[in-house]
Amino acid sequence: MSRGRLLQGDGRTHIESPLMRESLVDRKVIARTHSEREFEVLPDVMLVSIGGQSIFDRGKDAILPVADELAEARGKVKMIVGVGGGSRVRHTISVALDLGLPTGGVAQLVGAMEEANAVLLNALLAKKRSMVMQREHFWELPLYLENGMLPIVISTPPYHFWEPPAQEGSPLPTHGSDFGLFILAEVLGMKKLIFVKDVDGLYNKDPHKHADAKLIKRTSLGALFAEMPDDLPLDRQLLDAWRTARHVERIQIVNGLKKGELTRALAGDEVGTIIERGEANV
Amino acid sequence: MSEQTTPQRRDIGGSLAGATMTTARAADGIDYSPVALMPDVKVLKVGGQSMLDRGRSAIFPLLDELVAVKDKYQLLLCCGGGTRARHIYSVASELEMPTGVLAALGGYVPRQNARMLQMLLAKHGGVFMLHDDFEKLPLYFKLGCIPIMTGMPPFGYWEKPGKDGRIPANRTDAGVFLSAEVLGVKRALFIKDEDGLFTDDPKKNPSAKHIPKIGARELLKNDLPDLILERVVIEYLTRARFCTELQIVNGLKRGQVTAALAGEDVGTIIYKD
Repeated sequence: MSRGRLLQGDGRTHIESPLMRESLVDRKVIARTHSEREFEVLPDVMLVSIGGQSIFDRGKDAILPVADELAEARGKVKMIVGVGGGSRVRHTISVALDLGLPTGGVAQLVGAMEEANAVLLNALLAKKRSMVMQREHFWELPLYLENGMLPIVISTPPYHFWEPPAQEGSPLPTHGSDFGLFILAEVLGMKKLIFVKDVDGLYNKDPHKHADAKLIKRTSLGALFAEMPDDLPLDRQLLDAWRTARHVERIQIVNGLKKGELTRALAGDEVGTIIERGEANV
Repeated sequence: MSEQTTPQRRDIGGSLAGATMTTARAADGIDYSPVALMPDVKVLKVGGQSMLDRGRSAIFPLLDELVAVKDKYQLLLCCGGGTRARHIYSVASELEMPTGVLAALGGYVPRQNARMLQMLLAKHGGVFMLHDDFEKLPLYFKLGCIPIMTGMPPFGYWEKPGKDGRIPANRTDAGVFLSAEVLGVKRALFIKDEDGLFTDDPKKNPSAKHIPKIGARELLKNDLPDLILERVVIEYLTRARFCTELQIVNGLKRGQVTAALAGEDVGTIIYKD
């Protein structure tokens, strides 16, 4: 079909295109924009998430070794580092809810606490070529990554005041840090995300509370949906979004408190827990 | 893990300390009494394809109506995209771009439309605003201004990939609803080129019947192949806290917008049921 011609005659001026005059709500019209493949923008970049509560809140003894590992891998692996906010996010939300702020108002506030962690980590790594990157500035990524820079971003997605009402009628924003990083990786066509936490990976129950919790070394998205562990170290929204995603193939959870685990995960070793996407549309 | 060598988490305390966020359970036990931030604001969407793409013949009479009541109400105008958004969605989906890229690209068009309305309303106090200016709304209203912004929510690249196609699910209708919801506004107003909701597309089927009032759940249950508002908005409406009514009016019929602003049930009302 030709494209670009201006058409008039029904009171509106249209640009000729396959979507011209169409309702973008019509299921048939939406389906026409589907295809099996999807363009990969930056497929060979990895996304590494440094947990707020699990790493940053533990202070120097937890942060410095992880920062060292990131500095060491920088230049060898193309990666973006995402940071969580941790306890200060939880405190923010707790005060905001007590004040009765609406869900979107709560969502607007939390990113600032992550920015503080991004600045902290950047101060530690600046001489190793790290930089705090505005999360949506990723058209500058080729410049940074080809020059061995280490971009650090915040994780919360920019839903801000426009955070949709929660599914269960809860006042809490549902689009959190894990989800935000996941979408960042997905939209850029990345294959792999590494979550650096303070546990060895995914357990069948919370290992901080249950001594008999069993580590799940390898699983798939389908298996998780078939049997969801009680205490997931990842946001449920991430898993939901992964079901319709096309690029992220693997999510690895490693223990940042164990020296070398992150480095091994960056090198492709099977440490911690590996979740594979497996079959599409589970 | 050996607890002796593990650096301890430093919690701040508070009801959510240590909780896994973003789960419904996390807020259990919190006494939550939500506050409506600016309940008197009138949040209006000016349709893209339905109004703006019609140019002067549709827009000038609408702006006349709005200017006539601008000192009576606090008007927040949000713009739709229209045919230029359809064009870029079409080119980008042919290139098999991800949904988030489409959402970011589609975002440029309603911003242009907002700037056009700002120019026309400048002498009446029209102010173009970005998402980041949202907290300045009280200032604009205090000065008697008409703030004008994009209807798109700021999700952009963070728009969720869809199951069945690449068109972003949250577009300008969603942004308008979410703006009203966070401001604590009860009814959002959508200005289109139809009298509201019909049993079928009235542009294609002249025997389609007008629906003056319908519940969101009922509407979703009917599972219509096409809708006058983005599907996701109707879903949000079912769990809305503040914005529990959406009104769709015909901006081409003189007086409908004025009547709707006065609180009359013209057009179609979709309500939280």
